[in-house]
Amino acid sequence: MPRPVAAMAAGLAVAAGVAMADDLAEGRRLFVEGTEPACAICHSLADAGAEGEIGPSLDELRPDAARVARAVRGGVGVMPAFQETLSEDQIAAIAAYVARAAGGG
Amino acid sequence: MMEPRFSRRGFLVGAGGATALGAGGVAFDGAHAPAAAQEGGLPDYAAWKDADALIIHSRNTMETKRGAVGSGGLTASDRLFIRNNLPSPDASITADPDAWEIAIEGVARPGTMTLGQLKRLGVTSEASVLQCSGNGRGFFTHGASGSQWLTGAAGCVIWTGVPVAAIVEAMGGPAEGATLMTSTGGETLPDGVDPASIMVERSVPIAAHAHAMIAFEMNGAPLPLTHGGPARVVIPGYYGVNNVKYVKRLAFGTQESGAKIQTSGYRVRPVGEGGAASQPSMWDMTVKSWVTHPLTDPGSGRVQIHGVAFAGPERASGVAVSLDGGQSWEQARFYGPDLGRFAWRSFVMEADLAPGVYAVASRATAEGGSVQPEDFPPNERGYGHNGWRAHAVELTVA
Repeated sequence: MPRPVAAMAAGLAVAAGVAMADDLAEGRRLFVEGTEPACAICHSLADAGAEGEIGPSLDELRPDAARVARAVRGGVGVMPAFQETLSEDQIAAIAAYVARAAGGG
Repeated sequence: MMEPRFSRRGFLVGAGGATALGAGGVAFDGAHAPAAAQEGGLPDYAAWKDADALIIHSRNTMETKRGAVGSGGLTASDRLFIRNNLPSPDASITADPDAWEIAIEGVARPGTMTLGQLKRLGVTSEASVLQCSGNGRGFFTHGASGSQWLTGAAGCVIWTGVPVAAIVEAMGGPAEGATLMTSTGGETLPDGVDPASIMVERSVPIAAHAHAMIAFEMNGAPLPLTHGGPARVVIPGYYGVNNVKYVKRLAFGTQESGAKIQTSGYRVRPVGEGGAASQPSMWDMTVKSWVTHPLTDPGSGRVQIHGVAFAGPERASGVAVSLDGGQSWEQARFYGPDLGRFAWRSFVMEADLAPGVYAVASRATAEGGSVQPEDFPPNERGYGHNGWRAHAVELTVA
């Protein structure tokens, strides 16, 4: 079962402080609706309730944060680059969230 | 998939039992190893493929193991790599190939034709290398995103199809001043997405249309959905991405496609830079070769060292092989049928190997004189690697 981000964030808040939990929540929000096109339209990620089938399933790929950040920043194949439409902080938030939610780090 | 590891000599042991010489560094790290690669096996749309011959990077990306491309000049269909930028359309589109419709635009008399109608206009057949732009990405050391292809995102197959030139001629010729040919794929895009952001649409210089075809057969069988059936564009000498699958539109004009895959994707630029239309596009391929056998200890004595060589739009004219990491070279010879300038050639060099460690490299030359380089500069997306040093194999003979 996917861990709901709220519970995950709560757990992390204890471990690493509230700021990080907020970042994860923001990462999830960006993943679901904060980019154009939204990550969730193309990718599957159970934690985010995303069932996109255009790009790889992140639950299967289990990327770490650095890998996600590189892909979001520069694009992969047909995946567009987001470095001009997202800030580095936003990319970092998405990367941290996806890595955590997909189990990649 | 074998875990990457290093010998004391600093050589990298890569996938499929082959030993590859890194360019003095780390070709893989944990972040780039194809995670959970083979756990799922073959997806339904590719269930007929030979899983034992493939490294399955993901559902839409599989490469041929280095030793599995065959030694006879052609790659078996069930071993050919797969790189789908988008999921395949429903298999029903190949139920009646002749009913598939393709819009022809930017010609004197534009219109939509079925594949059945197009087949009346002409037929051609060509052996050519199909190679992903990122083939060899796994040999770069800068951590480029994307599948960490080694040698296997390439194969040589025979395509049969309708010559694009015949189609254009039948429709009155290209629009005046047209400089580009643009192909649009028939993938289904999800709702809520600007099509330009993810659609597969590629523009190439119009000169490429002289050899291009709308292919409907591969290796003598109807083109399977897995490889773009019922009909795909094939542009011999050009990287795979330009050979648009399930093609539904072919247009001639002066404007490059506005799809991201054209404007910023598949552009070669320095590491760290974003993609832009001002940068070189992944169009024609470059001179390249690699050894395919032996990849593991063959035992001492007489050995046949073979591999494949090609030069994109040119004919490969020769290959030299080194057993000592490039300190000395000996000319290999081509064998088997010459399938034309767009095909790869099989090469062989006979060697008497005493026990020891060999760094086996191959270096191809193109008819026009260009030579496969020793190294290829890192670039942001990890495209176009044809450096012979990184493609060399370490061979330990007991």
